[in-house]
Amino acid sequence: MSAIIKTTHLTKAYGTQKAVDNLHMTVEQGQIYGFLGQNGAGKTTTIRMLLGLIKPTQGQIEIFGENLLTKQKEILRRVGSIVEFSGFYENLTARENLLINAKLMGVHKKNAIEEALEIVGLQNEPAKLVGKYSLGMKQRLGIARAILHHPELLILDEPTNGLDPIGIKEIRKLITTLAEERKITILISSHILSEVEQLADQIGIIHQGKLLEEISFAELRTRNRKFLEFQVSNDNKAAMLLEQRFDIFDYEVHDDGKIRVYSHIGQQGKINKMLVEHDIEVSRIALSEDRLEDYFIKLIGGGTIG
Amino acid sequence: MVNLVYTELLKLKRAKMFMVSLIGAAAAPLMVFIGYLDYKAKKPDMPVLFSEAFSQTNLYVLLLIGTLLYGVITAYLFNREYVEDTLKNLLTIPVSKISFIASKLVLLFIWILVLTLVAWGLTFILGWIGQYEGLSAGVLLQSLKQFLIGGSLLFLLSTPTIFVTFLFKNYVPTIIFTAVITMGNVALANREYKALYPWSAVHLIADNGFVPEYPPLYSYAAIIATAIIGLIATIVYFKKADIH
Repeated sequence: MSAIIKTTHLTKAYGTQKAVDNLHMTVEQGQIYGFLGQNGAGKTTTIRMLLGLIKPTQGQIEIFGENLLTKQKEILRRVGSIVEFSGFYENLTARENLLINAKLMGVHKKNAIEEALEIVGLQNEPAKLVGKYSLGMKQRLGIARAILHHPELLILDEPTNGLDPIGIKEIRKLITTLAEERKITILISSHILSEVEQLADQIGIIHQGKLLEEISFAELRTRNRKFLEFQVSNDNKAAMLLEQRFDIFDYEVHDDGKIRVYSHIGQQGKINKMLVEHDIEVSRIALSEDRLEDYFIKLIGGGTIG
Repeated sequence: MVNLVYTELLKLKRAKMFMVSLIGAAAAPLMVFIGYLDYKAKKPDMPVLFSEAFSQTNLYVLLLIGTLLYGVITAYLFNREYVEDTLKNLLTIPVSKISFIASKLVLLFIWILVLTLVAWGLTFILGWIGQYEGLSAGVLLQSLKQFLIGGSLLFLLSTPTIFVTFLFKNYVPTIIFTAVITMGNVALANREYKALYPWSAVHLIADNGFVPEYPPLYSYAAIIATAIIGLIATIVYFKKADIH
């Protein structure tokens, strides 16, 4: 696989504040790359730099192996994008809005607009003005606009922002279909873990402008540890007993009396018996594994994400 | 460039602003017509001349309504891409920022010419209804020439307005800017400095009403210098500015 996007030392500073700090990111061909971070982590600034909308303070961006700074025009011909909310001319219909892009992109193929509208399911309301569209319809139209010229790379910045669960599901399905059927490399940013988890092959986690980790989901799964989770009535006493009776030291005490034990998998029966014998009520035992959320929170050192 | 201008025209489809601007362009001829109706009521025996009506209308257009109206449409054309959040889409299409500005300037020129012709045409129609006197091909051509020269020069002077629009990305500062320009026109209307103030110099050139204190070259230079400085500032700023 070859790198479609490669950034080196990419930095954007506003005064002394670094919105993006020394970012090294690699998106391989054919991947769905989930660019994950809290609001304000630097995702949108990075994406705007990738699209030439913001000039980096420092560093390089290579897309399709070419330097964005010197070959921006050629590169952007091969890229489709949505940057946050899709803006449209509200006095025009969906077709007329797409016609603007088709004209400027040099899309000569007959029915290209109809084809794009059909893919996103907006072909049935040709006379409706975009001003009357719901947010979900506008986001779908944004995707139609982004794929109109058959790009090789799609850059989508929070494409499900503000959508209801059904809208999110539709967009997710659309993105998966595009990746599978058109073999498009997709970079999708989000602050919603579950969204990225269901879409991406690879994730990059950005926090306070720094890319903390780039990892494939396959690798993440091998890294994620299994654990036994006990819901107990007295977590302090239970922790002490685990150490004394079973020599268990690899455990975590969580809120609401939950204890996660990362060793002794398969011995939950014995542990349960011991706890009960020492007058500790065990209301729940589960065999589980770290989720992306746990991984993320550990990585950024606490805090929460969507 | 043809495609860019086509898309600029398409963006105006069903745009209420175009219709509103036509109403704005009709204001000067209507004001002059109402003035002449009043004049006729007071002095029914005095003739009202077409040449006079055209001249008065052009005066109002160039010094009062035009600066404001053309300022507003300039702000609309350039600011709507920020307001409607469409600029980031346009600039991720491989369109250069200079071509983007150039296509908007072409459309602005066409729009100003349309409004100029509306003002001129309406003056003619109202004059015909009001039975003004002294209509001839010479009067029509001369007045048309004056209207078109005035409109074109005001178009050249739109570049500082574009710069203000890009700088503030908001209609309000632009409207204040054009209001200040108009105030300047009014303040200098009876002073010889009107030959040096670019926006009032437009009327002097269009009406061939130069003042003895300053040669015509000064008026042309003031307009051209303002237009060029405005254009350079616009291009430099827009090329450097990040698109958020």
